[in-house]
Amino acid sequence: MEALRKKFSLTLPQNSIRIIRIIAALLLLALIIVRAMDVAAKSQFGADTWLRLSVSGLIIGGMYALIAIGYTLVYGILFMINFAHGEVMMIGTFGGYFVFEAFNAIQVSGADGNQLSFLNAYPVIAILLAFLAGMTIAALSGLFLEKFAYRPLRGAPRLVPLISAIGASIFLQNAGQLLFGPQRRQYINPVVLDRGIGWNLEVAGSTVVLTYTGIFSLILSAILMVGLYLLVQRTKLGRAMRAVAQDKKTAALMGINVDQIISRTFVISGALAGAAGVMWGIHNGLFNYYVGFLPGIKAFTAAVLGGIGNIPGAMLGGMFLGIVESVGPAVLGIDFQLKDVLAFTILILVLIFRPSGILGEALTEEKV
Amino acid sequence: MKTVLEARQVSKIFGGLVAVNKVDLVVPEGSIASIIGPNGAGKTTLFNCISGFYTPELGDVLFNGRKIQGMLTDKVAAMGIARTYQNIRLFKSMTAVENVMVGFEPHLKHGWITAMIKTPGYVKEQKHIVNEASRLLHYVGLAGLGDNLALNLPYGAQRRLEIARALANQPKLLLLDEPTAGMNPQETDVMKDFIRQIRDDLGITIILIEHDMRVVMNISDQISVLDYGQKIAEGNPKEIQANPRVIEAYLGPGAAALSEKYRREKTHDA
Amino acid sequence: MNKQSIQKSAASGMVFGIIVIFFALIGFTVVISGLIQKALGQSLGVGQMPSTSSFLIFLGLLGIWNGWRASRQDKHETLNTKKVLGRSTIAGLVAGVLVMVYALIVGVLDNRGINLRTYLSQLSSESVRFFLFNQTIVVGILIHVFYSTLMAVVGGFLALASERSRERVKSTRESIQKWSQDHWLGKLQGNPYVSYVLMGVVLLLLVLLPRTWGAYWNYVMGTVGIYVLLGLGLNIIVGFSGQLVLGYVAFFAIGAYTFALTTSPEPHNLVWNFWIALGVAVLAAALSGILIGLPIMRLRGDYLAIVTLGFGEIIRILLRSDILKDFTMGPRGVRNIAGPTLFGRSFTTDVDFMYLIILAVLLSIFLARRWQESSIGRAWLAISQDETVAQATGVNTQKYKLLALSLGAAFAGLGGALFASRNQFTGPEDHALMVSINVLVLVIVGGMGSIPGVILGAFTLKGLPEILREVENYRLLVFGALLVVMMIIRPEGLWPARRPKLEVPVGQDNEPVHLPATVGGEK
Ligand SMILES: Nc1ncnc2c1ncn2[C@@H]1O[C@H](COP(=O)(O)OP(=O)(O)OP(=O)(O)O)[C@@H](O)[C@H]1O
Ligand SMILES: [Mg+2]
Repeated sequence: MEALRKKFSLTLPQNSIRIIRIIAALLLLALIIVRAMDVAAKSQFGADTWLRLSVSGLIIGGMYALIAIGYTLVYGILFMINFAHGEVMMIGTFGGYFVFEAFNAIQVSGADGNQLSFLNAYPVIAILLAFLAGMTIAALSGLFLEKFAYRPLRGAPRLVPLISAIGASIFLQNAGQLLFGPQRRQYINPVVLDRGIGWNLEVAGSTVVLTYTGIFSLILSAILMVGLYLLVQRTKLGRAMRAVAQDKKTAALMGINVDQIISRTFVISGALAGAAGVMWGIHNGLFNYYVGFLPGIKAFTAAVLGGIGNIPGAMLGGMFLGIVESVGPAVLGIDFQLKDVLAFTILILVLIFRPSGILGEALTEEKV
Repeated sequence: MKTVLEARQVSKIFGGLVAVNKVDLVVPEGSIASIIGPNGAGKTTLFNCISGFYTPELGDVLFNGRKIQGMLTDKVAAMGIARTYQNIRLFKSMTAVENVMVGFEPHLKHGWITAMIKTPGYVKEQKHIVNEASRLLHYVGLAGLGDNLALNLPYGAQRRLEIARALANQPKLLLLDEPTAGMNPQETDVMKDFIRQIRDDLGITIILIEHDMRVVMNISDQISVLDYGQKIAEGNPKEIQANPRVIEAYLGPGAAALSEKYRREKTHDA
Repeated sequence: MNKQSIQKSAASGMVFGIIVIFFALIGFTVVISGLIQKALGQSLGVGQMPSTSSFLIFLGLLGIWNGWRASRQDKHETLNTKKVLGRSTIAGLVAGVLVMVYALIVGVLDNRGINLRTYLSQLSSESVRFFLFNQTIVVGILIHVFYSTLMAVVGGFLALASERSRERVKSTRESIQKWSQDHWLGKLQGNPYVSYVLMGVVLLLLVLLPRTWGAYWNYVMGTVGIYVLLGLGLNIIVGFSGQLVLGYVAFFAIGAYTFALTTSPEPHNLVWNFWIALGVAVLAAALSGILIGLPIMRLRGDYLAIVTLGFGEIIRILLRSDILKDFTMGPRGVRNIAGPTLFGRSFTTDVDFMYLIILAVLLSIFLARRWQESSIGRAWLAISQDETVAQATGVNTQKYKLLALSLGAAFAGLGGALFASRNQFTGPEDHALMVSINVLVLVIVGGMGSIPGVILGAFTLKGLPEILREVENYRLLVFGALLVVMMIIRPEGLWPARRPKLEVPVGQDNEPVHLPATVGGEK
C-alpha cells in the first residue's frame, strides 16, 4: 500500500488518490444500495413504519440543526470546536423545565371557575416563557463560557482552546449533575402539548400519529432557522459576523468591535441550542444532566456533514443526520441500538471522502 | 547555463482572486534571482507554488527539469528546495540547534527502532548532525546561542536561524521571503552580503523576494517584477530601474511620465 | 478611591459571592467543611453535618482570598491602608450581600416546608440550616454579611503586610538559596553519583513497598501504574506529536478485549500463553492506531479529536450491543481472564501484579524517553509546534504522526491487557469515554510532553481521589475547572518538559562550511 502510494505520488499524486477515493466511495454506495434493496425485498416494514420513522427523524433533525448552527457559527469565527455546546443545550432544557414546574405549581381559577394550574390556563404564555427562559439562560451560559474559558486564550495554539472547551464541558456536565441530581426528570407539558396525542393518519391500514409536540418542534425549528438566516444575511450584526469570520484583522480595521461580535455569536448560538433543549424536553419528556452530550456530538457531526462554517450546510446536515439515524437502521436492516454507530460512521466516512462536507467549499489553504 | 527552476504559465486562484497569473520564470544555476512587486502582488504566493504549499491551478513548475507541482512539501524539500518565511516561522519552543537539526530530517537514515536501541550507527548519525547543526549556527553567526529557545532569540537572529534551518536541508535552491524585513540599514547591509556569501560559498541558487531596492539592485543577477499576479517586467537591475511599467506599478499611473519629466528637467538644468 | 477601583473590588466580591453560592448549591461547602474538621482531628460520623466552626474556617479562607485579590489590583502600585480598607470592605460586602440574598431565599423556602431537594439535589433541610450556621434566618444572614466583610478586610491587610515584607521575604529566600547552593545543593548537583543513589533508593522502594503495604494499596497503586502507562502512551500522541485524541479508550479496549478473548475459556475457548496474548494485544492496538489514523492524516487536528471520539464510542456501543454477543459476550463482559505465568508457574497475587505493572511502567518510561530524546522526538515536537512548516522543512509528517498514533496506541493496548488480566474481567463499562477524558486530563495537568509530568499527573488524578474518598463526586467537576484554569494560567502543565542543551563548540576560525559534501548521509 505504502509502496504503491510512493510509486504514484511521484507521478500523479493528487489524481491517483482522488480516483482511488472516488472508486471506494462508489463501491461503498453500491454496497449500501444492494443491502437496502435486499432489506426492502423482504418488505419487513410497511409504509406506516417508514412514515413514522421519517417524521421522527425530521423532528430530531430539526433540533440537531439548531445545535449544529451554533457549532458552525463559532467554528466559522474562531476556528474552534465549541465542545461545551451540548452542555449549553442541557442548560436550556433545565431552564424550560423549571418554568413549566413553576407554572404547574401556581393555581389559578379558570374561565368556568375551576381551579387550574397556570400552565393549563394560559398554555401559550407558559410555552413562550419556557422558551424565553431556556434560550436566555443558555445564551447567558454561552456568553460566560466565551468570556471565561475562551477569550483569555485568543491567539493561543489551536489545541489550547479546544482543551479548555473540553474542560468547560466536563465542568458544566458535572455541575448539572451535582446541582440537579443524576435522576431523570420528566417535562410537565401543558395539556394541549401532551406527548402522545396528535393527528392520526391512516397509512397502509394502520394509524400513524403525528404528535403535536413533534409538529410544534419542527415548525419552531424551521422558524428559528429562517430567522437566523435572515439575521446573518440581512442585518448589520449579521454582516459584521460574516466580516469577522472572513478576516478578523481587516474587520477590526473597518471599525468592527471583534470581541463584541464574538460574544454575540456565542449568545446567538446559545439561544438556538437553548431552544433546541426546550424542544427536546417537550418532545421527549425524559432528560437529565447528560441530555446534551450525545445531541452535542451528533450536531457537531451534522455541522461537519454540511460543511463546517456553512450555515445552510449545518441545517441540511442536521436534518440529514436526523433522518439517517432514524431511517438508516431500518434501511440497512440493522439493530436500532446501533443508530449512534451509524452516525459516527457517517462522520468518519464524510471526513474521508469529502472533508469539506456536503455544501462546504474546498477547505481554504493556509496562508503562509 | 543550466536551469535550476522553471515556472511555466503558473497560475494560482483564490476564490475570484487571481493571485498569480500565468507567470513564467527561468532561474539559471548559481544565480540570485529577485522577485519584486507591490504588496499583494502575489510574490509569496508564487513561492508557495514552487515549494509545494499550493498546487497551481494552471501551469508547471520544473525543478532540474522535473515537474514538481502537486508534490507534498516534504518531498519538495527532500529534492532540494528550501525556504524561509515572510513572517518568521520557527519551532518556537525548541532550541536553535534543535531547529536546525530538524532541517536534516530528509537526509536521516535511522528510524524509531534504531533510536530505541541506540545502535552505534544511530548514535554516530546523531552526533554528526549535532556537530553539523552547531557548525551551521556558527556559519550564520549564531555561535553560542544554540541552546536558547528560538522564541527567546532577537529578531535578527531569528531570521538567521531560519536560514540555517533551510541550509540544513542541503538545498540546491533557496527561497528567501523578505529576509531583511524589519531590519535597520546596517543589518540590511550585513544580510545582503551574507546572502551573496551563501551563493558564493555553497553554490546554492537563490530566489529572493525583497522590498529593499538597494539590496535588490545590488545583488541580483536577474529581477522579475510582479503586479496584480502578472509578471510585468524582467531583466537585470539596470533594465528594471529604467522600465516605466515598473515605476508605474510602484508609484501609480502617471508616475512614470512624471519621473521622466523630472529627470529631463534635471538634465536640462545641468 | 476612583471609580475603576471600586468597580474592580465589586467585581471580585461578585465572583466570590457566586462561588460561595455555587459551592453551597452543589454541596461542596458541606464536604470541604467535613474535610477541614477531619484535618483538625475531629471525627465526623456518617451522614452527620460537619461543625459550624469548620464551615467558618472554610468561609474565612475564601473571604481572605477575596479581600487579598480585591486589594491587589495592580502589580505596580504601592498599597496603603486607606486603599486596602476601602477595596476589601467593598469586596467583602458585595460577596456577603450576594450570599445573604441566597441564604435568605433558601432559608425562607425551607422554612415554608418546601422540599428543595426535588429541584436542587444537594439542598436538604439540614444543609440549608448548616449554611445558616444552625441559627435563625436573620441571625444566619447577618453573620454571613458581617463575617464576609471582616475576613475580606483581614485578607486585604494580609496583602498589605505581604507587600510591605515582600522585599525582606525575597532577600531571605535568596540568601537561603545561595547558602544551600554553596553548601550542599551545588555539590550534589555536580555529582553523578547522586542520581545513581536516588535511582537506587527509588528501585529499592519499588521492590519493597508492594510487599509491605498490603493488598489495598497494591490495588490503588496498580491502578495508578496502569494510568501512568496510559498517560505515557497518550503523551506520545498528544504531548510529543501534538495530535489531540479523544477516543484513546478505544485502544485500551482493543488491548483488553484482544487479551481477554485469547486467554479466557469463554466464549472462544482460546487459552493462549499469557505473554503471547500480551504481545498480540499490544500489536492489535498499534495496528488499530494506524488504521484509524491513515484515512484522516490529511485533516486538521481537531477533526482527529472528533473522529477518535466517535471511534471510541462506536467500539463501546458495539461491545455492549447484541450483534457482537457471540464474539465478545455483549454487556456481560468476558470473565476468567488469565493471569501471568512464567515457566508454568502462575503469578497472580496482588504483589506479583504490582511487580508486573512496575516493570511495564519502567519499560514504558524507558522507551518513551528514548523516543523523546531521539530525532523522532524532535520531529514530533516540530510537528506539534508548526505542522505546516515542519513538513516544508522535510519532515514526513504523515509518517511521524502515524508512528506516534500507533506507538501511543500500543501503550494503551499493554495497559488494557494488564488491566483485564488483573481484574480477570473486562466488560463494556470498563471502556467508557471517561477513561479517555481521565487520561487526557492527567497528561495535560502533568505537562504535555513531559514524562515526569505524566507520572505526577497520574498520582494526583488517580491516587489522590482514592485517598480523599469524600471528594469522589466532585472529582470530575474539579478536573473540568482545572483544565480551563490550566489552559489560561499554565498551559505547559505542572512539570513542563525542558529542552536539552546540545550545541557543541565550533572553532573560532572562520572556515567556510562545506555543506553539501559533509552534512548528513547524502552522497
Ligand atoms: N491562502 C490564501 N487565501 C486567500 N487569499 C490569499 C491567500 N494567500 C494570499 N492571498 C491573496 O493573494 C494576494 C497575493 O498575496 P501574496 O501574499 O502572494 O502577496 P505578496 O506579493 O507576497 O505581498 P507582500 O509584499 O505584502 O508580502 C493577496 O491579495 C492575498 O490577500
Ligand atoms: Mg509576501
